[in-house]
Amino acid sequence: MPLYRRRSFVALSTTLVGASAIAVASAGALVSAKAEPTPPPLSNDCQTPGVNISGAIPLSNVQRALRETKVIKILAIGASASAMMRRTGEHYFKVIEGVLERTIPGVDVQIIDRGVSGELARNAAERIKSEVALNRPDLVLWQVGSSDAVAGVPVDQFETELDDTVAWLRGHGIDVALVGLQYIRGLAKDAQYQAIRNAVNRVADRNQILRISRYEATQVIEQVEAQKSGEAPNAFAISEQGHTCLSEYVVRAISSGVFLRPVRPR
Amino acid sequence: MPRETIGETIGETNIGEAKVREANAVDFWRGFALITIFINHIPGIYFERFTHRNVSISDSAELFVFLAGWGLALMVSRYEARKAHIEAIKALADRALRIYAVHLMLVTIAIALLAAAATTYDNPLLLEWHNAATVFYDPIRAHIGLVTLSYQLGYFDILPLYVVLTAASPLVVMLHWYAPRALLPASVALYVFVLVFRVSIPTWPTQGTWFFNPLAWQLIFVLGFVLARDTGAGAFVRRHINALVKLALPIVIATSIMQFWNLHPDPTGMPEPKLLFVDVKSFQTPIRLLQFLALAAVIAVTSKRIMAVLPPVTRVLSLLGRKSLVVFSVGSVLSLACQVVRYVYKAELPLDFLLLVVGLSVMIFSAWLAEWPKSASMSKTQAGNRIA
Repeated sequence: MPLYRRRSFVALSTTLVGASAIAVASAGALVSAKAEPTPPPLSNDCQTPGVNISGAIPLSNVQRALRETKVIKILAIGASASAMMRRTGEHYFKVIEGVLERTIPGVDVQIIDRGVSGELARNAAERIKSEVALNRPDLVLWQVGSSDAVAGVPVDQFETELDDTVAWLRGHGIDVALVGLQYIRGLAKDAQYQAIRNAVNRVADRNQILRISRYEATQVIEQVEAQKSGEAPNAFAISEQGHTCLSEYVVRAISSGVFLRPVRPR
Repeated sequence: MPRETIGETIGETNIGEAKVREANAVDFWRGFALITIFINHIPGIYFERFTHRNVSISDSAELFVFLAGWGLALMVSRYEARKAHIEAIKALADRALRIYAVHLMLVTIAIALLAAAATTYDNPLLLEWHNAATVFYDPIRAHIGLVTLSYQLGYFDILPLYVVLTAASPLVVMLHWYAPRALLPASVALYVFVLVFRVSIPTWPTQGTWFFNPLAWQLIFVLGFVLARDTGAGAFVRRHINALVKLALPIVIATSIMQFWNLHPDPTGMPEPKLLFVDVKSFQTPIRLLQFLALAAVIAVTSKRIMAVLPPVTRVLSLLGRKSLVVFSVGSVLSLACQVVRYVYKAELPLDFLLLVVGLSVMIFSAWLAEWPKSASMSKTQAGNRIA
């Protein structure tokens, strides 16, 4: 083989191998990207080092909906989302819908907001059943506990009602994500508030459902702010920042739950 | 409710009346509804377990709106007697404006109360009670929403319904004058359309819908209006009230058991269109409406006896009912204040009892004051009668 032909052959072979390697690598990347897209990173203000935002709980019913219809219906219940309205006027749930749709390609996310501020868990429980019948959601995102804590609802009564409703939802093939209580500095040592907070945690653990650690996350945000400025930050500013970050946490929790493999019982 | 038990009740529109009207069933039950609304609007209070919603699918909201329709009929009949139709329409428009103004005033007070409590106790959570967060986090659009009624605070959302129903009442009255047989069918047709196609009014800037959907709740208002009349459906019900009560009583008992022991059927198993079969307060769904009408039939035949057995209670409830707008306003602000007090001082039974006593006393005093000096002269007359 003449030298120039041998060089051409080597060059061609190298090119083909290289191209193949790139193609294989790209395909692999595409496959892995399709299988497990990563949720958008948390913004700087919402970083919570050391806090596990939602745990590793798969949303099996949402996964099924994604496979079968490419539509995810989320019913938002509990405290109204109005508190999470961004200063820009962008609605909290619209933001979540948009980010989830960008994170999970090809999916249509529909959030049905049926939040009623100040509603106790027991009243919401009744309404949830009707709303489920009317809207057939795949996931119920339930912000629960703050109103009950403030109204002084007995903890055992609250826990039983929450437990029963979660069981009813799961029995109807619906995933549940609980958004726990807000972090309020003045209530950090309030026995009733902390007891209700613990009850929400227990229900989530017992039922193996997603719980968004809003309290712990906001607490860390406050600590970071305090370290930066050297003094205790304004409670109202922290609360507002907590609301803004909550949309990021919800996106992260749901998108993680969508791509986790269901845990098979041994 | 037979008309003879009502006397010449004309609702609060009867400003300038020479005398305070006697106790009657409409005022009595309106007063009852106001007290239960006050208690139910303090979530978690010990005494909420004793209000009738624990044994009834419908609650005081249905009673209040139904009696508003009933009061409208009695008011209109007074103008009809004088053939003052235009005057009647003007009075209704005035009333709608008055209720709207009262609503704005109440919402403003509620917002100030929440802001004061939140800053005093350094607790931003209080800013978010009852859907109020938007006012503080998105004030520009929230104020537009408040004025246009597209944004409502939780527990302050029944007056917007009342404003819409009162504003629409000239239409109801004109339909009654010019096509009386079309009024109830038109109302039922709108109701069925709204339930079948799930039509609701969106809120703004908050995402959601009106808690009390006026397009559905208009039926209970129109039913109150129609049943108060001596003609048509009202006359039919009066003629057959005893037979209707025999039908109604088992419904009331069965639904009481269902409500008390939470034996509601699984709504997911209901056929389509689901709103015709499930219990949804926002849409005043048929199961609520049917149970309320059954309860109203039972109330109608028992009111006289209840009122005769409990004269002091009758006088107090009728006083509250006569000044329903004043009492509702005072009660709404008081219930919010009570929530703040319960939060600050940690709710226990003695505190709940104190709040109930103080709240009811202030509501009764407000009603008395609103009727003064007529109420004072009436008290003197009653005292004189007793001495005689």
